[in-house]
Amino acid sequence: MTSYFWVILDGALLTVGVSLMSLLVAIVFGLTGAAAKLSGRPILVGLSTFYTTIIRGIPDLVLMLLVFYGGTIGINTLLEKLGSEATVDIEPFTAGFLTIGFIYGAYMTETFRGAILSIPKGQMEAAWAFGMGRTQTFVRITLPQMVRYALPGFTNNWLVMIKATALVSLIGLQEMTYLAKQASAATRSPFAFFLFTGALFLIYSSASLFVLKKINARYSLGTKRGVL
Amino acid sequence: MKKLLLVAAISALCATAFAQGKDLKVAIDATYEPFTFKTADGKPTGFDVDIASALCEQIKRKCVFVEQPWDGMIPGLMAKKYDVIISSMSITEDRLKQVDFTDKYYNTPSKVVLKKDIKFSGPASIKGKKIGVLKASTQEKYALGELKTAGVDVVSYDAQDQVYLDIKAGRLDGTVADILEVGGGFLSKPGGENYQFVGSELYIPKYFGTGAGVALRKGQPDLKKEISAAIKAIRANGKYKTINDKYFKFDVYGK
Repeated sequence: MTSYFWVILDGALLTVGVSLMSLLVAIVFGLTGAAAKLSGRPILVGLSTFYTTIIRGIPDLVLMLLVFYGGTIGINTLLEKLGSEATVDIEPFTAGFLTIGFIYGAYMTETFRGAILSIPKGQMEAAWAFGMGRTQTFVRITLPQMVRYALPGFTNNWLVMIKATALVSLIGLQEMTYLAKQASAATRSPFAFFLFTGALFLIYSSASLFVLKKINARYSLGTKRGVL
Repeated sequence: MKKLLLVAAISALCATAFAQGKDLKVAIDATYEPFTFKTADGKPTGFDVDIASALCEQIKRKCVFVEQPWDGMIPGLMAKKYDVIISSMSITEDRLKQVDFTDKYYNTPSKVVLKKDIKFSGPASIKGKKIGVLKASTQEKYALGELKTAGVDVVSYDAQDQVYLDIKAGRLDGTVADILEVGGGFLSKPGGENYQFVGSELYIPKYFGTGAGVALRKGQPDLKKEISAAIKAIRANGKYKTINDKYFKFDVYGK
């Protein structure tokens, strides 16, 4: 029975891997989405609004099924129509973090948009007055300041996302929740394994909260507590 | 030419596998002991797995097991992640609309289980009693179709384990379940000693389907025939019996 615990620990590594990669993807989608929403160009605003509305309005589980299976079936049908014998098998790890990142990018978009709007406009105007371009202003002025405003929402998104990684088992990745289910089915003693998995999730989220607190302290230098 | 280029492009983007290769990709959901489960060192094992290996040997292809959770079983087959499902999937009319099945490779009946002091002589004799069943199961279909109409109080649960818990708590008089499931999960366990099987073995296809078969995508009559023939062959050459006796005390092939 103890060896099942090792198997689950192995799955925990996968959970960490998937969540970190998803976070990267989500940040990229989030920043792009926020920039598009604030760009003032009708097409970009429309596209990003469509993205956040659709993604945030559909359950993760349904999206996962749609993107992964729908996508694969679509590509395979296309290949068949074109007369090819080959079938495509999307690698589940990549598909998993891309899908989760894509979903949580929508939440990040809103978090980042709010954070950027919280920065006094005068900061950007001052940067432009100094002759900085759009990119330079964003990297040097907006980004460092928005981190502080974005962190509370970002932390929330991150915690929810860690738990959403349990969904990747649906597309055939064996992360720890699925392994716990298998172990409990084989031994018919569910509580031991699910408690263990719950504890692992708790350790992971506590550790990441600690790191985020450090980041928060770093980006709050020079500001008074309680003053935003 | 354009088509060819497009095919090449799409194929290049993704890992490709040829459907007509030597390997037979078999999907299992290893959460159904003793049919499909994993040993502590992570290897898939069980009745389904052994039968699959025997079938592959018979049709001279190599079995490659792909683990897939139950929820994504049929979508994964449609998406060509694997070629067949050999994971205790019952042949039902609803599933036949989506996929094809070979002949059954086993069919265990369900039975009614009641407290020992209740006399049973058909559905009408337990009028007013409370029976728990698993939601969306073949047994629920049976209970609603045959027992409820006779005045039995049928309660549906999200998991069969919850049915057992409520029986132990005294809120239910019994259940309808697969004889292997209820035998291993309840009757042989502490708290199950005051309960017993009653009535005859239930095989009614209208409710229970026709057993578990190998599921495959539609439009593959050759593969379907080949596997059905392989099932017959391992029944005949004694391999089936060897595997059967490893896990069960009786022949699970059924009638």
